This record gives sequence, structure tokens and C-alpha cells, in this order.
Amino acid sequence: MIPFELSEPDTFAEAVSLLDPEDPTIRPIAGGTALMLMMKSNVFSPSRLVSLRGVETRYSEVDLTPEGGIRAGALARLGTLERHAGIVGAFPVLADTLRILSNVRVRNVATVGGNLAHADPHMDLPPVLLALDASVTAISPSGQRMIPIGDLFAGYYETSLAPDELIGELSVPAQNGRVSAYIKCTTRSAHDWPALGVAVSLDIAEGTIVDARVVVSAAVEKPTRMQDAEIALKGASVSEAAFRAAGEAAAVAADVISDVRGSAPYKRQLIRVNVARALAKATSSGGMGS
Amino acid sequence: MPQTRTISFTLNGRPVNAEIEAHHTVVELLQERFALFGARESCGQGLCGCCTVKVDGEAVSGCLYLASFVDGASVDTIEGMATSGGLDPIQEAFIEAGAFQCGFCTSGFILMTQRLLEEHPDPTPDKIKSYLSGNLCRCGTYPEIIKAVQLASSKRRASKAAA
Repeated sequence: MIPFELSEPDTFAEAVSLLDPEDPTIRPIAGGTALMLMMKSNVFSPSRLVSLRGVETRYSEVDLTPEGGIRAGALARLGTLERHAGIVGAFPVLADTLRILSNVRVRNVATVGGNLAHADPHMDLPPVLLALDASVTAISPSGQRMIPIGDLFAGYYETSLAPDELIGELSVPAQNGRVSAYIKCTTRSAHDWPALGVAVSLDIAEGTIVDARVVVSAAVEKPTRMQDAEIALKGASVSEAAFRAAGEAAAVAADVISDVRGSAPYKRQLIRVNVARALAKATSSGGMGS
Repeated sequence: MPQTRTISFTLNGRPVNAEIEAHHTVVELLQERFALFGARESCGQGLCGCCTVKVDGEAVSGCLYLASFVDGASVDTIEGMATSGGLDPIQEAFIEAGAFQCGFCTSGFILMTQRLLEEHPDPTPDKIKSYLSGNLCRCGTYPEIIKAVQLASSKRRASKAAA
């Protein structure tokens, strides 16, 4: 890596003030697992990194809220979420996802905020958080604002965050009986970046789907809700036929990218099959949320 | 001029200082300042586990960890595992099970196994496989590694029962 300077502020406010909206070579670093790869490959050569590791400890904390949702500081480690018995109990889809997210060492270091701010469409957590209707609080010198996860991702490795704005906190609402599931397809090795990620969340009453969220990631430029599939599910009874129809609708509508993990037609077929499988997984006992 | 700074940390139980630059990694710190070569950079992407070290008790990839970030922390490497009384039971288990050929990945596997057995004293083969899935052995000694972990687990439980 080429040399750079490192600032280590003690407060989140100071960290925000050290960013320069006019200078893209000054960037924040938290766990650094993704940023280090970019720096080592010279994709990114910072002049200065602002470390968030020394800021107030509340930004590293993870709590189950009294309502049954999650409040996680941006600096919380993915492994902290994984080991939080209350959270993985209330959100089995998170337990299922974190278990297969990269490896133990990366989960010990990578942070919730960094995982979202990096906006890599191949990551596992963003589509799941989109299906769970999560949001982030972003903090800048001019104040703070709430951004729904669906509005955070603007494109391939792009977010809607301003250059001097940082994610401070993640909020996941209580699921009130909704069921959810995540499936990822890797085409080369189990630990490869996925060719496709599918996250779904369903509100079911007496065998009828009242509301559905269907998210496709990795095969597309950013985690994306598949509205045609959601419409196909709404009002349908929980059935293999409904799941297949949703898979078909998502496969037709998705704006799929060809790359080394598969051609667009191949990934479209993956979507067709795996949206239906994810819906079946969510409605089996394995996907049952609180 | 690159910015240099002095960091202080605990290395294998001993307080140490080192002069570093901001872009140095933990692997560079250990190799260049302390001549410790047990953690080594192989894939350079956090996938292979050859650079595994423990920071404040948690396993991390030394190749993806800035040296600046261990300032004030406690760092443990493979070099700190054996005591004057002999090898650690995990090290013995890897030898007894023949769980390596060239040995390049072994220090990483042993440190990950130590952490695995702290979290899960009696792991199932599936737990061993998933916990160690971020460690690669190019010689393909995986069956022996799984046996070594099971052997280490029983050695540790036996020594705990005797104590």
C-alpha cells in the first residue's frame, strides 16, 4: 500500500468534521476489511484516513429494543450481532445470514456501518436488511437524517450519503410475526462472492400473503426490491404455485449483469428458481421470525 | 514524508513498543519489527487464514489489519503458544494427527482452532468445517485437520477434568 496519513478522533462529531466534501481522498475507516482490499489493489489511494474506532462506545453497541427491533451502532462488529442471543433469537434470518457471511475473522472486524456504506452489491447483509425494512441514521455537520435502506443504495458501490456524511446507527423494526429468509448462490466456491442473493419477508394471515418484500442482490447493480414479484404474491395463498409465479415475475423484471460469476441468462434462471426457494424457506419452520 | 508514530501494545504477554507508519499492516509489524514470521501473508485478502493473529482475544486477519489499530491492544501469535513446559495441546494434536504437509497454513489453523475450542469446547465436524472455512490448506490436509481439532478438543477436556 502507498503511505497515507491516519487521524484517530475521539468523537463521532469530530470524525465527521475531519471529512472534506471537496477531497475524495480523505475517507473514513472502521473495520477496514473491505477498504484494505481496495487500498492493497490500488483501486483506492487515500491521502488520509479518518479512523472511527476511537469514537464514543455507544456507536459500537447492539441492543434489542423494547419493541422487539434492533438498534445497532455503526461501529458494531458483525460478529457482535452474530453472538447477540436476543437478536439472533428474534431474527433467525440474521443468524442464518451471518453464519455464512465471509469468515469468522472478517466478522470479528467488519462493522455494520462499513458493510452498508461500502455498497458492494455482492454483500449478504444489505438485501436482508432491505427485506426487513431497516433504516440508517446518517450524521453530517448539518445534522442527522433517517435513510431507509432502499434509498441508501444508489448504484454499484454508490450510496446516497453525502461526502461528509457517515452512517451512525442501524435500526431494524420489530417484525411482528413476519417470516423471512435469505439464500445466496455462489458459482465457484462456497466462499466466493455470490452470483445471486435473494432475501424475502412475508406477512401471512391465515394462509394468505398480506404483504411481501422480495429483494434481489449481487446479480444486479444494487440490492433491489422486485415489485412485480411482490404484487404477484400479495393476496395469494401460501403455495408453491404462488412462489413460482413470484420467481417468474422477478426473473423477467430484474436488470441482470453478466460477469465472471455467470451470464445474465444464467443468473436470470437462478433468480427464477431461488426466489421461489427463498419463499418456501421463509414459510418453512426455518424462516419463522418472532 | 510518511507519518511515523510509536505504538505500545502487549505481544504474547510482553509489553512492547514499535515505530510504524500508518499504512503498515499487522503482518508487516510482526515480521519487520519483531522478526515473527508465523503470521504470513498468502492471499492478502482475508480468505486463506495464513495471517491469523489474535487481537484482544479475537481472531483477525493480520494482512487486513492496520498496525496502528493494535496500539494499546493485546496481540497473540503462534510464537506465544508453547510454554517452557512444552507445546500447547493443540500443537501436539496437529503433529499427532499429521495435520499438515508443507506447514505454511498451520499456524493460522492452530490459532483458529484455539479460538474455536474456547467458544465451542466439543465441536461437531460441521462446526469445525464452518469455523475453519476461512482457512485454506493448499496441501489438502483437511481430513487430518478435522481429526486434529477433535483430538485437541479431547486433550483439552481431559486436562480440564484432571485439573
